[in-house]
This record gives sequence, structure tokens and C-alpha cells, in this order.
Amino acid sequence: MSSESSSQSLARPTEEVTVSVNGEDVTTTVEPRLKLSDFLRDECGKRGVRVGCEHGVCGACTVLVDGRSVKSCLTYAVQVDGSDVVTVEGLASDGDLHPIQDAFHREHALQCGFCTSGFVMATKELLERDPDPDREAIEDGLADNICRCTGYQNIYDAVETAAAELADAERTDGGVSGGADELLHAPSDDLEDRTDGTDGSGGDA
Amino acid sequence: MSEAGVSKDVGVEDDAESEGQSFVGSGLERVEDHRILTGEAEYIHDIAPEGAVHMALARSVHPHAELVDVDTSAAEDHPDCLLTLTADDLKDDYEPMPCGLEGFEEWSLADDRVRFVGEPVVAVVASDRYAAEDLVDLVEIEYEQLDPVTDVQEATEGDTLVHEHAGTNVPDSETLEFGAVDDAFENADNVVETDCEWGRISGVPLETAGVVAQYDTDHDSFHIDSNIQLHTLVDDTVYEPLDYPPEKVNLEVPPDVGGSFGTKIAIHRYCTLSAIASQQLDGTPVKFVEDRVENLQGGDMHCSDREYTVRLAFDDDGTIQGLDTYFADDFGAFPHYPVNQVLKPLSAVTNAYDIDAVRYGYDLVLTNKTAQTAYRGFGVDPHLYALETAVDEAARELGIDPTDFRRVNLIQPDQMPYRLPTHNIYDSGDYPAALDRIEELVDEAEVCEGGLLDPDVVEAKREEGKYRGVSYSVHIEPGVSGSDWTDRQRTETDALEEREREDVDELPEHFRIQLEGDGTVRAFLATDTSGQGHQTLVSQLLADSLGVLPSDIEVDYLPSVEAPTEYGSAASRMAVMLSGATEGAAEKLRENCRQLAAEEVFGCGVEDVAYRDGAVERVDGSERVPLAELADLDAGRNQRLTRVSYDYDHPATKIDDFDEALTSKYPVYPTAAFAANAPIVEVDVTTGEVEILKFYTLRDCGTMLNPTIVEGQAHGGIAQGVGAALMEEFQYDGEGQPKAITLFDYLLPSTKNMPDIEMEHTETPSPFTETGAKGTGEGGMLDAPASVASAITAALEDFDVVADQIPMTPHRVRRRVRDAQADD
Repeated sequence: MSSESSSQSLARPTEEVTVSVNGEDVTTTVEPRLKLSDFLRDECGKRGVRVGCEHGVCGACTVLVDGRSVKSCLTYAVQVDGSDVVTVEGLASDGDLHPIQDAFHREHALQCGFCTSGFVMATKELLERDPDPDREAIEDGLADNICRCTGYQNIYDAVETAAAELADAERTDGGVSGGADELLHAPSDDLEDRTDGTDGSGGDA
Repeated sequence: MSEAGVSKDVGVEDDAESEGQSFVGSGLERVEDHRILTGEAEYIHDIAPEGAVHMALARSVHPHAELVDVDTSAAEDHPDCLLTLTADDLKDDYEPMPCGLEGFEEWSLADDRVRFVGEPVVAVVASDRYAAEDLVDLVEIEYEQLDPVTDVQEATEGDTLVHEHAGTNVPDSETLEFGAVDDAFENADNVVETDCEWGRISGVPLETAGVVAQYDTDHDSFHIDSNIQLHTLVDDTVYEPLDYPPEKVNLEVPPDVGGSFGTKIAIHRYCTLSAIASQQLDGTPVKFVEDRVENLQGGDMHCSDREYTVRLAFDDDGTIQGLDTYFADDFGAFPHYPVNQVLKPLSAVTNAYDIDAVRYGYDLVLTNKTAQTAYRGFGVDPHLYALETAVDEAARELGIDPTDFRRVNLIQPDQMPYRLPTHNIYDSGDYPAALDRIEELVDEAEVCEGGLLDPDVVEAKREEGKYRGVSYSVHIEPGVSGSDWTDRQRTETDALEEREREDVDELPEHFRIQLEGDGTVRAFLATDTSGQGHQTLVSQLLADSLGVLPSDIEVDYLPSVEAPTEYGSAASRMAVMLSGATEGAAEKLRENCRQLAAEEVFGCGVEDVAYRDGAVERVDGSERVPLAELADLDAGRNQRLTRVSYDYDHPATKIDDFDEALTSKYPVYPTAAFAANAPIVEVDVTTGEVEILKFYTLRDCGTMLNPTIVEGQAHGGIAQGVGAALMEEFQYDGEGQPKAITLFDYLLPSTKNMPDIEMEHTETPSPFTETGAKGTGEGGMLDAPASVASAITAALEDFDVVADQIPMTPHRVRRRVRDAQADD
């Protein structure tokens, strides 16, 4: 049931929730049965959350809740009351793609793109847990996400490229510990300093 | 090796600008990506007009039943209910949906009888989807169950009819003969007969079908946003049931569609119902997005489900003299368009082999399952699988190496262009060289110490019950369908002999470009897209043709009312059709720009004006006018010179050798991309599990317009082929209930199933196309299933087991090995 749920009839029970979505607090009243995926898309305008199966297999709706990846179609909005939620919209800063997004672009790790938000978020969690994953760790880390277009090869390449970029950015940044927030909002200056000289402006070209 | 020939040219635009190099042929990064990666892309589920309401569908829980009573009163009594619709509500003002064969027209909601689990019976509309689904729960449907027809055997031998009025469950069949088939089978030294089965599969894109429809009360017309595929070809499937003329029903497809692979061609039911609901609600926009369970069980989107019998006639030296192939295809409850996928294999009927005598027969069979639609490969994938299975059996019969057997029969390069007995033509390629190369690659890398096929390792693994095998084979990908062969099954075939070449409906590719005041070149495709990167491709092609940068080009799509009826983005067409269409349109624009500058700026003759490097100038180079300025100059003119449209004729219609296929309505696919594959598999004979250790492939799709995109298409196609070979299947139980209605049951390849792909490319340009490109949207899905199955057969040679049913699930492998051991 991937769709808007704005109007509520009187007969339907509601609860108030306050959720931090990409750093901004959202307080609203929702039906207890409202899925987090629909909450983010319809109540918060975060339509980069894609809904592919609504039974927790495809992973297109993957978002981070308090730093952990969750399938937002299997989570109710009321369950994340008081939590920090990050969607794919929370990654790019000032128009610059996050290194993970940029790596997906450069490695042609997306075609139709419907799975991409989920893969990017799953990759983010993976690289925070394991900044230098080998191929097997990548396969394990992304095993809960389905892509129907790419055959995964270029996604593996993108994860490796992103890992190298993030490690590079961390070094350039003078040994910052690489916590979630630093990685999440990699300063745009860092992107310009990348050793390969690309500008990171991605698909605007 | 996987990087060979595929450069992901970061910063290619800067290089090209400075050096004047071509963008075509570069791995230009995709222009589509940024909006997708940032979450800004607009898919159908993002389209939400103010005040939109939501539809949900009550669907049949039985495969075959009379509808005794459909009671919507409880739903209507619910305070959230805005509308309910049943078949009876449709009959006064609307029409049934057209079907692939005449006589099977159906109402978009089941009328009197349901014929598959998941068939929509009632539509309900509420303010939001949650409420709409509440209403579905309140709909009461009383059924009287009928015997279901659940397989081909029951359909052809039993008494139950899926459609009583038709008098048969086999509404379409044909047997075609080309060459002296009986002679070949009588005279050949050997004949083998192989039975094999191809499981019911589909594309299962990550995005399901969706629609937002709005009726315009002022103009008595409809605007329908939908992720339907081929919206400028199949718009009749929407306007006909609405009983409106085409110009009153505007279909528009979002620039971002979450995959289709053919499966969204036949989603007109949803478009129709949403539009009717909006009309009944006085123009309130109505939205419907299929959920995954609906999609899998009743989404009209299953594909080929075939039982094959293939006979091969061949001599003792291995030469194949004749091919005789028959299949029954379980089409489900309705023979929806595209029924013609039973015919497409004729375009590559002998695969890469030189065989003169071919018999090709099929039965299109109806059962109580959801209907078929198109899926990447369009019916050729099972054909290649069946043919290659028979080839393996023939080699085994002769006791010779299957690679040698294949090599003996390959079409030779000096036979190109090669005319198939079925009248399609392969354009170019050196198949023996491709086979030699893939064998050499595997030999060097794997049949050696430390390699996957190191004889010592292979032997040691056998001791553990793990059998490794590899199969080398060459496969054809027929590309760029065109013309009107697609309606052969609705044609009186006897009359085709009289048909003249001029009677052929050629369906050219329509394309438009216009200059904007800011210097942007806006391009319009007359079709839709679903992830293939057409915006990037058009940017590359036009940048070269117009001497501008890809970033100067914006690519958009025409809605159905503004576009002519054309074939569109299917059948591996767009690389070739856009190559011609962009060049034709660009040439027209360049001429017009010269005329405009001559008349409005220079006051000279056209012959004194040249178009150079994205601007017009006097031939002596003394004055120069940029494109942006021309757009402004043109703005006031009656006849706009900076807006051009162009219709690119399908390549086959310009080559006389295709005339026979065109007039006889045989499939016409004028490009033959090809692949030589060598998957290395390991079969655990204890568990039945098959692991593909590595997938070697050498691919050739002519000139690569964008090597990065070509590689991506191959990767993705191979992944789908691996799914088809090992995992994916829409099974039904004996009562007609679908067993795969979630993604827990219909298994898609994940990171845990996909092997490493070692890919190499060669480029043999097509002599038939503008750029030398060949169609390559389907390749891996066409050839990987046959290749993987053949490798399994090779691995299990000692057991004399043949991979004669796919997907080769562990259960099926185990059963075959067990049976083989019992026989010994």
C-alpha cells in the first residue's frame, strides 16, 4: 500500500510522534498502522524512499534509524518516535553528492534506479561498520537488497570506490575518527580535494 | 579482463571539448543518475496531484469460478468509501479491453466468471490507500468453484474450457516448414529427440505498475500518467476500453521508470480502471499503485512457460541437417498481447548454426493462471535453451566433445550476411573466432594449476561430491524488431502470399529536436524509457551530430497524443533506431540553421553558410552565430526552422533482402549481436545445489555507442538469465493456486547468487545500421539460461543427467542424479 495517507477519518485512531528526519524534527499525528516508508514519503516528503515489495525482501525502502539500516516497509512510524532517521536525501550536501552516491554514479551502479536509494543507505551502514570491506563482506552487507538491473558487479565496484574515497577524505581531513556524522555529511571541500581530480558534480554534467 | 574495452571515462566531456573527439563510443557517465541518487527522480509513485484519491482492487481467490454474487454494500456503507465499481458498472458506458487474439476481449473487472487467482473483480476508491484496502475487506464475493485447468496436458486433453465460447484451450497454433525437413530427417545418419521444460518466469522489476488518471470535465478527455511501456504503441489498449478516440486519452510516462523488461506493456487494465474511476468521480484524480503480491499473482505479467520437443537430424561427422522444434506455451487465462512472442524465435531459429531445414511448430495454450506478457528476450530465451539442450544430447549420442560438435556447425564469417531459412538475416560476425577465443580465455585462466578447472582440483572436488563443468557456446541476440509482423496471428496467413511490399506497415522512429533561447537543444523521444539510459545515449549522439556538448542537450518524452503510433523502446531497438533518428533530425536542423542565418543574419545565399562546431558561420569564417541566437531569431517566424521532426525508417525496410520476411510477416530483426559464453559451474550432487563459480563471456554488439551502458546491460541480462536458470519460477499447485506470491517465494538473484562475470568485448559493426551499432538490450537474458543449463549438463556427464528443466533447482538436480544412480 504504497501511497499517500494524508487525510484521516475520525474513526481511525492516531498517535503523535516526533521523529528527526535528516536532522529536522517532525512532529505529527499518525495512524499506528502507518508504515515508516509511507510516513517518510507522504508525511515528510522524502520520496527518495522507494517501495518495492512491502514485505521486507527487496530493500528498496532501506533507511537508517539511529545509525542502523532498517527496512522502512516493515517498520511502523510509531516505532521510530524519538529516533533519528536518515534517508537518501540526507546524504548530499550543498548539491554535492556524498562519496557513496558519487561512486554509484561513476561506476554505473544503477540503471532504472528504483533500488538505488536502498543500496546507497545499506552501503552507508556497511562502510561505517567496516570501512574497508573485502568482496565477501560487501556481498554479505548488501545481501538484503535486490537489484534487478545491474547484476551487482558495478555495485561492488562502487562500494570499493566509495570506501577508498571515504578513507581518502578522512586522511585529508587530518585523521578524523570517521564517526557516522563525519561520514554522513562529508564536507564538500573534501570532495574537491580528491586525488583523482574529478569534480564530483556527477550527472549534472 | 572485465575492464577490456570498457573505459568509464570520467571527465570525458572536458577531453572531448578540448580535442574535438567523439562522444559516441565513450563511456560518458549517465545524465539520469544525479536525480536518482539524490532521491529527486519522479517515478509513478511520486506523482501525487492535489486531492488525489486511491483505488484498490478486490481480487479473485479462486482460479476458476462463477461469480454468484458480488456484494459491495458493506463497502459503500463505510464512511471512507468514495466509489465502488464492478463489471456491471462498466457495461453501459465503456468497452471491454482488447486482447492479443480476437474473441478474447475482457472487461477490466471480471464479469460472471473468474479465470485466475488475482483477477480483479471489484474496484474501490477511498481518500487513501489504507482506507481503500479496508474497503476491499468489506467486499463480499460469492463464488461457485469450477474445475481449474492448471497445465498444458489438462488444457489439451481435459474437458474443461477456460473460455467456453472459444471451444478450445488452444486458440492459436502454427507449424511452419522451411527447406526440405522430411528429407533431412530421413537422410541424416542420426536423429535425437529431446524434451525439456522452461519454467514460468518474468521480469519482476523493482517498481510495480502504477497509474494516476484524471478525467477533464471541461474537455471530456483524460490525462493518464503511468509507467506503462510502449505508451505510443499500446495506447489503444487504454482508449478503446474507455470508448474514447485516441486524441482524448493522453498517456504520459514519467522520465523515470523503475524497470520494465517488457512486463509493463500490458498494464492497461489499471490505466483503464483508474480513468473510469476518475470520470465517475467528476474528475478527481485517481491513483493506483500495484502492491507486490498483486504484481506477482495477478499482475498480467508472467512470461514464457514452455514444454519443448526438439528433434535434431545430424550426420556422423556432426553436421546438423535438420531442426524440428515444437513447444506448447502456457499463456494463462487470456492470450494478451504480446502473443507474438511465440514467433520471435523464428528470427534466430538456428541460433549460431548453419541449418537449412527447419520445422517450427507451437501451440498457444490457455489455463487458469495469470496472463503472460513480454519479458526481455521475448520467447527466444527458451528456444535457445531447448535448441542447445538438444545439441548437447546430439553430441553425447555421437560421443564427441560438445564444443567440437558446436564448432562444426557454426555459421562461417564468409557466409555473412547470413540468410536464415526463416528469412531473417544475420548482419555480421565471426562466430568461430568467438568460440575459439572464449575457450582460449578459460583454458589460460582456469584449466591450469590454481584455476577453477585445474584437473587435480576437479578430481578432488568430485571426491567430495562436487562436480565441476563448463560449456562453450555461441548465441545470437536478434535485435531491432520492426514492421507489422507482430500481428501475424491476427492475419489470414493464406493471404500473405499475395501481399505486396508496399502493404507493409513500416513503423519508423519519430524524433524531434528544437533549439531553446538559452542554447539548449531539446530532444523528444516518441516512446518511453525504463532505465536503459536513453537520455545519455541521445545526448552523446546529438552532441556529435550538432557539435555541441552533451550537457547542452535535454531529453524529454512525448505524450501519446503528440506522438505518432510507433514501435518504441522494446526488442533491443533504441541504440539502432536512435542512431538513425538523431542523425536524420540533426542533419535537418543543421540545414535549417544555415538557411536561417543566411536569411536573417548574413543576407547571403545558403551555400555561403556553413554549420561548424555548434554554430553557423560564413564559409570564410568571418562571422559566426551561436545556436542560442538562432533560436531567438526564429522565434518570430511562422514556419519555425529551429524545430524539426524526423522519422527514421527501420533499417530492414531499406534493404531488399528483407522484403520476403516483411511481406510474409515473419519476424524481422536486422541486427545479430552475439555472445560466446563459458559459465563454470559446480554441482553438489548431494544437496543438488548449483553454484556458478565464474561466468566467462565474450560479447559483440557491433559498434558500442556507450561501452559502460553496454556492459551494464550485459551484466544485468546475465543476472536475469542466472535467475531463470537456477531460481525463478511462478509455480502453481494442482488446484491452480499460485505458489509464488511474495519475493520470499519468487526468488530473485541477490549478491549471494551472482557469480563473478569475466567479460570481454569485440566490435563487429553492423552493415545495416547508421552507426554500426546492434541492438543489445536483451543479450544476457537470452543466452545465460542456455549456457548455464549446458554447463550443468557437462558437469553431470558421468551421471548421464541432462538439465532438461529449468530452473534447475536443488530438488530437480537431486532427483535427476538419484534417478540416474538408480538406473545404473
